[in-house]
Amino acid sequence: MPLKDFLEASKGAIKEVTIGKEGKSATIGGEAVLPFHNFEGNLPRLPVMALEVWDTTPPETWPDHLRSHFGDVVNSPVLWAKKCLEVYKADLICLYLASAAEGEPDAPALAAKVKEIGDALPAPMIVYGTGEKDVDTLVLREVARACAGDGLLLGPVLKENHKEIAEAAQEYGHALIAQTPIDINLAKELNIKLSKFFPKERIVIDPLSSALGYGMDYSFSVMERIKQVAVLFGDDMMKMPIIANLGRECWRAREAKENDQQGILWEAITAMTMFLAGANLAVVGSPDSMKLVKKLLGQFSTGQIEV
Amino acid sequence: MILIGENIHILSNEVSEAIKQRNPLPLQDLAKKQAEAGADYIDLNVGPARKDPDVMRWLVETVQEVVDSPLSLDTLNPVAMEAGLAVCKKRPLINSASGREDSKRDMLPLAAKYNCDVIISVLTDKGIPSDAASRAEAIMETIAYANEIGIDNENIWVDPIMMPIGVDQPQVVELMEFMDMLPDIAPGAKSTLGLSNMSNGAPHHLRGILNRIELVILQRHGLYSAIVDSFDSEMVALMRGEKQADVDLIYRAMDEEINPADLPPHEAALVKTVNVLMGRVLYSHSWLEI
Repeated sequence: MPLKDFLEASKGAIKEVTIGKEGKSATIGGEAVLPFHNFEGNLPRLPVMALEVWDTTPPETWPDHLRSHFGDVVNSPVLWAKKCLEVYKADLICLYLASAAEGEPDAPALAAKVKEIGDALPAPMIVYGTGEKDVDTLVLREVARACAGDGLLLGPVLKENHKEIAEAAQEYGHALIAQTPIDINLAKELNIKLSKFFPKERIVIDPLSSALGYGMDYSFSVMERIKQVAVLFGDDMMKMPIIANLGRECWRAREAKENDQQGILWEAITAMTMFLAGANLAVVGSPDSMKLVKKLLGQFSTGQIEV
Repeated sequence: MILIGENIHILSNEVSEAIKQRNPLPLQDLAKKQAEAGADYIDLNVGPARKDPDVMRWLVETVQEVVDSPLSLDTLNPVAMEAGLAVCKKRPLINSASGREDSKRDMLPLAAKYNCDVIISVLTDKGIPSDAASRAEAIMETIAYANEIGIDNENIWVDPIMMPIGVDQPQVVELMEFMDMLPDIAPGAKSTLGLSNMSNGAPHHLRGILNRIELVILQRHGLYSAIVDSFDSEMVALMRGEKQADVDLIYRAMDEEINPADLPPHEAALVKTVNVLMGRVLYSHSWLEI
């Protein structure tokens, strides 16, 4: 029996989404195979990793072993982001608008700050709002306008606020993160709704990523099925790449906070698992766990696995 | 297709209020209208009836005053069930027993005692089985037990349990496979299921098309009966052979992939719905719009 009889026939390729603008951009997706199945067809690139930066000083509840990587720079988002890129070699930055969750946000001022941070960096930027629908509508629309033409990856947009935010992202040339609560049918539904007026090539799916021990298996199943539906069934509404925003989830876990090694492994295992499930982009908090996962990815691409 | 009308259900405010006040008129009206609409059986769902098991006796007698249809007595409470069975004029249907130990102990023996038909679901103490093979395994065990206590396959209506498509589409698809297996694993047994549960959670105005087409699909796979909304007149027409062109198109869409883009709106909707129900296209609430 020839080898090809055992291979899955692909019916579709994941869309390529480019984040950023000329001179500083990153592209994700493009694969016509299930995750890492480069023996079955075209796998143009490996998943990429973003380190998360907060627009405000992180909370006291952050464990010291996570904070210690950044030292004083946690007080300056620009310096923090630069350290992530220059010292820790993150592929890109994910700016979390934590300040917007603290009471009434001053949207124009916040948007100006996001613009300033983005302009100071040599890499493209993801911007995550609070996940609260009204706050995000207000803030992300303002951010979209202030950063016109910068090609941010902006989100999350939810069923409840997708229209308002997507209109601004459409007008000012950004890509969007479409977020649904660990439900593949609702993920498709939101993609259909967005696709009516927003280009599919600028949508990234966030099916919600839970941490190891806190429901990671559910996230895995949804991502796995999204990739099967897109690649094996060729479903046009599911061919968007996937983002796994898992850093904050992991560092909320008691086990990750307990000690340094455990924390690194908690986040690295979660990230690697999400990649195996089909994530094209992961957002993590610790440079050490990122390094560990990148090492594994590097070994995959060279075929030299060392333990 | 034997249609069991589901509209006398304790979850309906109108029904619940009438039962509470022992007001026969709204319930008799619902029973008559269902029979006129084409329901073969009238289902009487009184919920668990923990405080008031005699309610089933009252409801059976109330409904029998105005309709001749056989009744499907729908409660998990064996005391309420027996109170109803004792006064049924026509051979009733017990809705339902299962492979759970308490059901085998308290409910199934009633089918033997009153020599009536009984719906047996694939539920066991381990929960609802998750695929066709484990459904088959579960029901075979329960049927073997039912046979031992004197219930023949001919009196058993197997319920494979319908899941909402928005929760678990693959399980909806699996039911076709299960129906194909049923004649081998339970020769002579009948089948039924709660059809409307499939479209639970779907946009309200689109539930009908999902329900109707699924019923045509499962009928083709041998389904004997279904618990349905009696007032879905299009469904009744489909089941009574009055819409042969639709049935033909549904069958053709089951057998081959038809491009809905080439069809007029009504036909395109049928084909798109078949594609979702056959598992060819991932379900979303907007499945008709793409």
